[in-house]
Amino acid sequence: MNNFIVRKVAVLGAGVMGAQMAAHLVNARVDAVLFDLPAKDGPKSGIAIKAIEGLKKMNPAALGHPALADFIRPANYDDDLELLRDCDLVIEAIAERIDWKLDLYRKVAPFVAPHAIVATNTSGLSIASLAAGVDDALKARFCGVHFFNPPRYMPLVELIAAPETDPDVLGRLEAFLTSALGKSCVYAKDTPNFIANRIGIWGILATVREAERFGLSFDVVDDLTGAKLGRAKSGTFRTVDIVGIDTVGHVIRTMQENLRDDPFHPLYETPAVFAALIGKGALGQKTGAGFYRKEGKAILRFDPEKGDYVPAGAKADETVARILKKKTWAERLQLLRESKNPQARFVWALMRDNFQYAAIKLAEIADNARDVDLAMRFGFGSSEGPFEIWQQAGWTQVAEWIRDDIEQGTALFTAPLPDWVFEGPVAERGGVHQPQGSWSAARGVFAPRAGQPVHRRQLFGPSVAGENAPDPASAGTTVFEDDSIRLWTLDDRGVHDVLIASIRTKVHAIGPGVIAGLLKGVELAERDYKGLVVWSPDDPFSVGADLQAMLPVFMSGGAKAIEAEEQKLQQAMLRLRYAQVPTVAAVSGMALGGGCELAIHCARRVAALESYIGLVEVGVGLIPGAGGLTYGARRAAEEQAAAPDAALLDFLKKYVMAAGAAQVSRSALEAQAAGWLLPSDPIVFHRNELLYVAVREAKAMSDAGYRPPRKAAFRAAGRDAMATIAAQLINMRDGGFISAHDFHLGKTIAEVMCGGDIEPGSMVDEEWIMALERKAFVSLLTHPKTQERIMGMMQTGKPVRN
Amino acid sequence: MSKQVQDAYIVAAARTPIGKAPKGMFRHLRPDDLLVHALRAALAQVPSLDPKAIEDAIVGCAIPEAEQGLNVARIGALLAGLPETVGGVTVNRFCASGLTALAMAADRIRVGEADVMIAAGTESMSMVPMMGNRPSLNPRVLLDENIGIAYGMGLTAEKVAQQWKVSREAQDAFALESHRRALAAQQAGEFADEIAPIEIVTKFPDLATRELAVSTRTVALDEGPRAETSLEALAKLRPAFAAAKDPGGKATGLGTVTAGNSSQTSDGAGALIVASEAAVKRFGLTPLARFVSFSVRGVPPQIMGIGPKEAIPAALARAGIAQDALDWIELNEAFAAQALAVIGDLGLDAAKVNPMGGAIALGHPLGATGAIRAATVVHALRRHQLKYGMVTMCVGTGMGAAGVFERV
Repeated sequence: MNNFIVRKVAVLGAGVMGAQMAAHLVNARVDAVLFDLPAKDGPKSGIAIKAIEGLKKMNPAALGHPALADFIRPANYDDDLELLRDCDLVIEAIAERIDWKLDLYRKVAPFVAPHAIVATNTSGLSIASLAAGVDDALKARFCGVHFFNPPRYMPLVELIAAPETDPDVLGRLEAFLTSALGKSCVYAKDTPNFIANRIGIWGILATVREAERFGLSFDVVDDLTGAKLGRAKSGTFRTVDIVGIDTVGHVIRTMQENLRDDPFHPLYETPAVFAALIGKGALGQKTGAGFYRKEGKAILRFDPEKGDYVPAGAKADETVARILKKKTWAERLQLLRESKNPQARFVWALMRDNFQYAAIKLAEIADNARDVDLAMRFGFGSSEGPFEIWQQAGWTQVAEWIRDDIEQGTALFTAPLPDWVFEGPVAERGGVHQPQGSWSAARGVFAPRAGQPVHRRQLFGPSVAGENAPDPASAGTTVFEDDSIRLWTLDDRGVHDVLIASIRTKVHAIGPGVIAGLLKGVELAERDYKGLVVWSPDDPFSVGADLQAMLPVFMSGGAKAIEAEEQKLQQAMLRLRYAQVPTVAAVSGMALGGGCELAIHCARRVAALESYIGLVEVGVGLIPGAGGLTYGARRAAEEQAAAPDAALLDFLKKYVMAAGAAQVSRSALEAQAAGWLLPSDPIVFHRNELLYVAVREAKAMSDAGYRPPRKAAFRAAGRDAMATIAAQLINMRDGGFISAHDFHLGKTIAEVMCGGDIEPGSMVDEEWIMALERKAFVSLLTHPKTQERIMGMMQTGKPVRN
Repeated sequence: MSKQVQDAYIVAAARTPIGKAPKGMFRHLRPDDLLVHALRAALAQVPSLDPKAIEDAIVGCAIPEAEQGLNVARIGALLAGLPETVGGVTVNRFCASGLTALAMAADRIRVGEADVMIAAGTESMSMVPMMGNRPSLNPRVLLDENIGIAYGMGLTAEKVAQQWKVSREAQDAFALESHRRALAAQQAGEFADEIAPIEIVTKFPDLATRELAVSTRTVALDEGPRAETSLEALAKLRPAFAAAKDPGGKATGLGTVTAGNSSQTSDGAGALIVASEAAVKRFGLTPLARFVSFSVRGVPPQIMGIGPKEAIPAALARAGIAQDALDWIELNEAFAAQALAVIGDLGLDAAKVNPMGGAIALGHPLGATGAIRAATVVHALRRHQLKYGMVTMCVGTGMGAAGVFERV
């Protein structure tokens, strides 16, 4: 049996993690059963029912679409254990108590299907000791799967084998977690807190101590340890506030209790400030106060000396900020280390502590350095892992700096770096990451990348610095390139017959250059390829038209000149739609305004789950002018043609409202409900698989005898529907919900999408609606309120509510 | 006193309980079946009446389409088992449909062209949405002078609240009182005379057992009144139809009307039998009340809620009685805001207005409300031995309607 089929998954424990895991399973169209203890009063599965209700209100949303909550079956251990028999996977996510977990395993064991995998989501307990307590028949199928919170958005899942776990079990799980759920798996050894939390929590402990030594306040530390270091922008302490100080405290305690023989043990003590805050009930975001507290609009920080909150907002010194902006890690680390500025020396100290810890613990916690770096990237949102930074800064130089600090007693801890740092293959080659693999300190070899079949779907999988993996920005064979676009093929991967267009502008904004490049792509694809895929190595898909690029056109040629540009854009969209070969948009991240219009005019879309699609032009006082409204008018007519008893307006309304309110989908699933994605557009859960699927989709469409859609006339709703929509907008305007200009924009959108002042049910075509789009767009451009919005957006990046 | 050939007497008046829409007890019960139930209940009150003597059935319905379309009056009459000789006509004056049906039925008798008439109303807001299934407006509605036609009812209530300075607190207090009175009346059994208990049977496929899940229950009370409502709970509700501040952050002077101080959306039906004096004698009937007068008046659509202010004096003038002669007033509580504005401007005695609660608590099945409240008033006048009663309401697109009843 080669296939690991997962029809249904049971999640035991309807806490924050359990409920969100269940949500993500149903996002992926895997049925989920969410168990918890029987409720004392009310319905027996009340605890799970409440948790499922809570999911609908979560922000950021755990569910890809609120209606998906219905597919999570609430259950309780008294009545519903029979349901386990149908589950192919059982994930336990109850409180971190070994006795409770073992009790539960005993209770469920008789009901677990003979093939099912049983996995624990413990964040730090020993998998081996849990495995020792499970039924013998289950031992080979028992392992650890450690998700990070929030599980929909955090890519990392750590996989941990118990001594008797069948290695196939982890491989199968990895394939499922990767392709079906979109997670990025890292194999961890069975040590307390595994990899990411072990290194990450050490980082927090070191930050607290070094901040004390250098006398820095929490706000300055967060500014230094956030985006400036390529880490999550919430820095250190705000991240702890978000996660929960008690939760982090718990993970610290796990290290304290289970790592008694660790030489670092004295440093695993819970910092006094954590205890103080927990004692005050200030557990972070969930209690409204932690290291920070919001008071009205002001943000306050906790001052441990005063034991009270004081105004926050202090930033890093300009000199330090400048150092951190230097091009290479070598420059940055050297300058930090040599600086007299305490903030600079703090950052160096922190980096040093982290390097030292990671190097000493590598053999104990991970197979190789790559797993450590990737775990920190996927689990803590760092753009680079500790070994990557170290290696790029110059392996031996940095190692010597660390040794000097240890010897001079300035390091936090006196344990020397392991010998492999200075002697042998790592030192000789200048780092742990090499093209042939990453250093395994335990095995003394460079471990090659694990080649699970599922990884073949990631044409450009995650790579670490030093590995020299192909860079998707330059990989393959370039057919054409300029500043705006690169047209290329995956020749080197044996795909010669699909052309790929990668947009190169900032946030992939669409200006004349991108349009010219896309048109060239269509032309080349029609001539020599089976299809054209629009894919870029990084998100977003595209944030839309390049306002800045349009400005000179407007300044010199006025509204008329813009109209001509507008028409070119519209023609380009139609070119994509009616190309003789299939055009496939590989959407991930934001596809807004013109980006949305680009996607919806392709013959097909392949969308990552995290796709945020919408027409947002009203934010700058404009309306979609590159076929976005035309698409809505046409789609509504097509949907109505399939349901002739219903009114065209019923289908049109959602498109009018979406554009009028600048609604953006919060997932590809929502985008499908909104009509931006068609039911036939595949949704891909792992972003890295997008190109693989898109290229195959293009080929399959071509191989199936692709013909472009017919250019057909369609019914327009006409003036009465326009009036009916406008009447609703009048209520919103006169009720104070929208401004007069919002009303004007909404009514204009309705007019365009209804085909103008024409008889209801008249036949129109795309060109007709597009002409209305242009006319309305150009007239809005000269509207003072629209100009106010455009200027405001360009100056502050925020919409003006006028 | 109006001139007429003969007087019209209400000899029977019955109604269904009112269910909440769209998720209440009648969400699967069709409006034509609700009508049938009300018709049969009214007929049951007058067993000595030969149904063949009934001339016509006039049925009010505010959105007469789909489940309540195809002339629901005729269909209801046939399904209720009335002889084929009895006619059926559906009339629509939105929320005054039921009262208009009654006035028209009375008129047929008063001009001497009929001796026995049925007046009724039915509405399922669960099945047919407020704007109908396929709303389509005339583009000229968008012209400034017609814009009121486009106004949703909630927004008109906001405009009334603003213009008549009805505060949020006053609206919430009025709403709470409506619930209090309704609950007290329910507890005192005051609805027993008018409500004909109805059996609700639902059949669902049980996909787990592969069997038909049949459930049956009988209800005798309106579903709307909420014992747990409080001023605090009402104060927490957000304005539903207007924002207190516009997108720019400026105060709008609006934002006081909430779901809590508005009428509930509902399902229900009511029916009355109207007879001439000759028919009363011929069939040995006991008149409950005489239908004295009816008036309708137009007002600006933007402030439709104020309609009763114009209609009430007009109907009283036609009846030839003074306002303080009224002992019992059923003033439809479309919104607390408009009800308070009308009560305040006319100086109505608050104790006499909706003594058993109003639409905020009991519900408001649009086109059925007039017939339902007529049933309430004729039984109440009788129970409390009072003389004059009134049913009045505001009407969408700007009207008020009022009818006067006299116990005999």
